[in-house]
Amino acid sequence: MLIADALLQGILMGLLFALVSLGLTVIFGVMDIVNFAHGEFLMLGMYSVYWANFFFHIDPLIALPVSAVVGALLGLASYYWFIKYLLRGPAIAQLFGTFGLMLFLQYFAMFLFSADYRMIDKGLLVGKSLSVGPFIFDWTKLAAGILSLVAFAVVYYFLHKTKTGKALQATSLNKEAASYMGIRTDRMNAIAWAIGGGTVGMAGGLLVNFYYAYPMVGILFVMIAFACVALGGFGSIKGVFFAGLLVGILEMIFPVFGHLIGSDFLGPHFKFTVVYLAYFIIVVVRPQGLFGWKN
Amino acid sequence: MEKLKDALNFSDFSKAERIGLIIFSVFLLTFPWIGAGSFTTTVMIQFLLFSLFGMGWNTIGGYGGQVELGKAQYVGIGSYTVALMMVWWKVPFWVSMPIGILIAVGYSFIIGYPLFRLKGHYFAIATICTSLVLKDIFDNWNLVGAAKGIELPIHDHPDFLYMQFKSDTYYYYFIMALFYIGLFYMNWFRKSKLGYQLRMIKDDENAAESLGIDIRWCKIKAYSIASAFVAVGGGFMAVYNLYIDPASTMELSLSIKIALMAMLGGAASLWGPIIGAAFLVPLDRFLGSWLGGQKGLTGIDFMIYAGLIMIVSAYQPRGIWGIIEQFRKRGH
Amino acid sequence: MSFLTVENIVKDFGGLVANNNISFAIEEGEIIGLIGPNGAGKTTLFNCIVGYHRPDSGKVTFREKDITGFKPFETNRAGIGRTFQIMKVTTGMTVLENVMVGSFCRTNDRNTARGEALHVLGDLALDAVKDYYINELPIAIQRKVGLARALATKPALLMLDEVASGLNPTEIEEVVELLRRLNSAKKITLFLIEHIMEMVMKVSQRVIVLDYGEKIAEGLPADIVKNENVIKAYLGEKYAQGL
Repeated sequence: MLIADALLQGILMGLLFALVSLGLTVIFGVMDIVNFAHGEFLMLGMYSVYWANFFFHIDPLIALPVSAVVGALLGLASYYWFIKYLLRGPAIAQLFGTFGLMLFLQYFAMFLFSADYRMIDKGLLVGKSLSVGPFIFDWTKLAAGILSLVAFAVVYYFLHKTKTGKALQATSLNKEAASYMGIRTDRMNAIAWAIGGGTVGMAGGLLVNFYYAYPMVGILFVMIAFACVALGGFGSIKGVFFAGLLVGILEMIFPVFGHLIGSDFLGPHFKFTVVYLAYFIIVVVRPQGLFGWKN
Repeated sequence: MEKLKDALNFSDFSKAERIGLIIFSVFLLTFPWIGAGSFTTTVMIQFLLFSLFGMGWNTIGGYGGQVELGKAQYVGIGSYTVALMMVWWKVPFWVSMPIGILIAVGYSFIIGYPLFRLKGHYFAIATICTSLVLKDIFDNWNLVGAAKGIELPIHDHPDFLYMQFKSDTYYYYFIMALFYIGLFYMNWFRKSKLGYQLRMIKDDENAAESLGIDIRWCKIKAYSIASAFVAVGGGFMAVYNLYIDPASTMELSLSIKIALMAMLGGAASLWGPIIGAAFLVPLDRFLGSWLGGQKGLTGIDFMIYAGLIMIVSAYQPRGIWGIIEQFRKRGH
Repeated sequence: MSFLTVENIVKDFGGLVANNNISFAIEEGEIIGLIGPNGAGKTTLFNCIVGYHRPDSGKVTFREKDITGFKPFETNRAGIGRTFQIMKVTTGMTVLENVMVGSFCRTNDRNTARGEALHVLGDLALDAVKDYYINELPIAIQRKVGLARALATKPALLMLDEVASGLNPTEIEEVVELLRRLNSAKKITLFLIEHIMEMVMKVSQRVIVLDYGEKIAEGLPADIVKNENVIKAYLGEKYAQGL
């Protein structure tokens, strides 16, 4: 029973994790850059919904597009004002560059919003739950899971069915060939960053319904996203979806196991340790990801 | 003997650099008489400590070109070994610190073996992961004080065996000695076989392999040397602060700072980590005490800090030393 | 037993067979050319021997030692040196330092390594550029640096991947001279991939021809140019007309 419940909760979280990781894998696929600031896009997405709710009393659910737009603009701004210049340098500079961006955004948030933990306490779904048989779901988490799935599907459709999306995929497969076909790499990169920022911003908007917003919240989720992306195979969209689900389930079910066998060492404190370990083991043992897909 | 000569031989540097080193050394030696307030001494100790960390990182990160972002775990290993052995069994610093180095080196081999199957981003993230796992464990492990950390017993009298002194000046000279050992070691290292091989690996791994270099083994060796350096610094932190916890010794931000100082100063250069630390430590400290203290300005110091990283990585990935060298070349 | 024996090498890149059942042998002191059209599997074959790829099946024996599946650094230590078709243009090390890395393969002492590197550089007439970085040099010199680096590891067999491409006729002439000298004076066995037909035919004592991953001919240069399969596969009309 406990396990079934954890499984269901895990799936909901997993859908959200998949959405969080989606942008990271898209950007990696198109540009071979790992964006450390990805978690900070999420954090600012969280804050945008929080403040929309706080100042204008907009329901967090309705304010969701705000977070997506904020995320996408942030992605675009980062690309045009910063990342573009990093591309000229070696890979090590790119890593440090996005790292700098991460720190910058963290402390920018700290400066603007202080280090306080903030959570939304009123809203259409906040605090309400739905019971189905023996299972009780928080509406906020249910909404997060379902809307994440929808958003993921939309992006998936965009990438596979529209002209721009296909161009993006082509760039991801072979940059040089794509540029010969008349695809403008620079524009593709910008689109990747917009999608990356938009999806993760929206994920933040969903997350803030049931999780604290604070300036350093990003690091935790970026690590989860790294694990998902590694698990799914760097650059793979299909892969990251299932990897997200898997990590979500793992994260929920792990403490349950610990509880069942009565071990403190498998307690909830360690649920993210498992994620880090999972990343480590996966990239060492199977660097192509668990599923080995590359679209 | 030959090695010692190599370590003390700075003759392949330009005259300006050698004079700079002498002036800098004189400054370091006389600092306690000329500049010392308790705040400035603290800043200087931090500067020397981070130079030491940065020099260690420079082996694998600078010369070897591997983006290593998990050095904090070795700070943790070094400081916890010293602290725990002192608390549990009253082991003197001079015994526990070498043991700390041994543990760090042993651990680095165990972790390095799988770690160096990885390259690029995969590697960088994996190093973060290993460090965070260790921190999580220490954060929840009651035997070692969990997140509360541990306090070292304070002796009534200054005690050289346990490295306990009343005045910071003693700590200053101690870390300065470690700094010079590190500097001389690095001066030898950059000219050693391993140093050359690492630079080749950084330039072109395929070519390096074709020249008989066992890439993975070379990286592991450099990684363990870096870990030893960092563990020494960690041991010093334990006796200097007399209190350690996972947050101050194993935090991700510490790993970043270590890598960053070397990068910012100029990776793969002997002076790089020192310049980086000379720049960032005071900046960090003064900005922190000047801006951080004022209400409503929290975070500005780190924003400036992060802005610098961004500018350097976008415009001069070879760091401050790279900029200096660029100017010098133009002068020719 | 031959100096280098390659038996039934197969390398398949997920359905694309780059090397199909290739066998040949090289004797000590020979100069062997390996030719074939683009995509014939020449570089793959090199990589299978040197260890950048692990052959799916087959066996490589060098000086009576089974080196199949050895890593590149192990084959180098066993005595096989190689150069690359495309030399990565790097900014991190000077020419001398590059060659010293090669010497360090056989010694731990810096002064010995330096002495040997200088010797190799002198031998290839590269003394003048020893303090330059690779990116500051013209391509002909870069190639020679690659060669010097490999020579510094003191190989018994040197495998050269298109040393002459991108060079002008005078430079090619120089390289040919150099290779002959290395072969006769230093007793180094040479195995070279080459595109420039004139050069292969001039320098090689024996030529192996690959096409679509298969060995289609092997023999003396004079016979190879007359071989019908070879003409069809590779030499094409242009060279055939010239005969």
